Amino acid sequence: MNLFFFLFSAIIVLSAIAVISSRNPVHSVLFLILAFVNAAGIFVLAGAEFLAMILLIVYVGAVAVLFLFVVMMLNINLEEIKFQVKKYFFSGLFVGLILLAELFFSFSNLDLIRNKNVMVTNSKNLTNTHQIGSIIYTEYFFVFQLSGCILLVAMIGAIVLTLRKRPGVLRQTVSKQIDRKKEDSIEIIKFKNNNAN
Amino acid sequence: MNYTEYLPIFIFIVIAFSMSLGFALLSGFVGPNKPDKEKLSAYECGFEPFEDARVKFDVRFYLVAILFIIFDLEVAFLFPWAISLSLIGLTGYFSMMLFLLILTVGFIYEWKKGALDWE
Repeated sequence: MNLFFFLFSAIIVLSAIAVISSRNPVHSVLFLILAFVNAAGIFVLAGAEFLAMILLIVYVGAVAVLFLFVVMMLNINLEEIKFQVKKYFFSGLFVGLILLAELFFSFSNLDLIRNKNVMVTNSKNLTNTHQIGSIIYTEYFFVFQLSGCILLVAMIGAIVLTLRKRPGVLRQTVSKQIDRKKEDSIEIIKFKNNNAN
Repeated sequence: MNYTEYLPIFIFIVIAFSMSLGFALLSGFVGPNKPDKEKLSAYECGFEPFEDARVKFDVRFYLVAILFIIFDLEVAFLFPWAISLSLIGLTGYFSMMLFLLILTVGFIYEWKKGALDWE
């Protein structure tokens, strides 16, 4: 399994480098997808199958598509980006250093996290997904409902920000069509024909 | 951990990877190779393309993608709930019902607002 770990992590690191160094932003997103897929492979190796599949469904299936949309929509000019690299160098370095410090901190405290004993007893030899399901809906009730509220806020926010009603759009209204009666639409007019005999 | 269940997936990936690589390489080596400058030049109804293929398009696609992600996450929550329903009892059942109720409020909002309609 070590071989697979090195394979997956090597592909992740290489594709992460390709994400930030490739000239075409669409290629960057595709390399990001490759990194996601290999991260899912590492999750499988760690025994977290459910997380691996969720990573594939949510990140590869949905978030990556969103990234592609954003890249398409931004109408990026490559020359402008190269011009801005110096401008954003120090702020980017700052964010990178914070992330590195966080990684360093969490890796130096791995024992602290491991000894916390969060996991419920695995006496019944349950699978990963069963274990997650057995605590997330009951023991972490409020956090779970909070995630539902966050999704609701995201939904409403996206609609409020992007939905524009366009005037003058012809739209089918089914109830109006069904409500229409013969009397409303057809008028029979009897007129005298003077030329008739 | 026992990874023998993943062996078919691994074989599948290896075959898919080697076949696609093989097709790409074989067509490069075996196929006729007559490079021509005109073959690489842009062709769009006989004249040079006016603009980049990457044009700004309707923000509505973005909205559809965001709404898809949200319901995708909802389904991701439903899956462990469905298989561990026998372990969590009524509390877990009604916990999920409340979660679904919260999201249904959003669903009704977007339906009534017309976010799901395409003009």
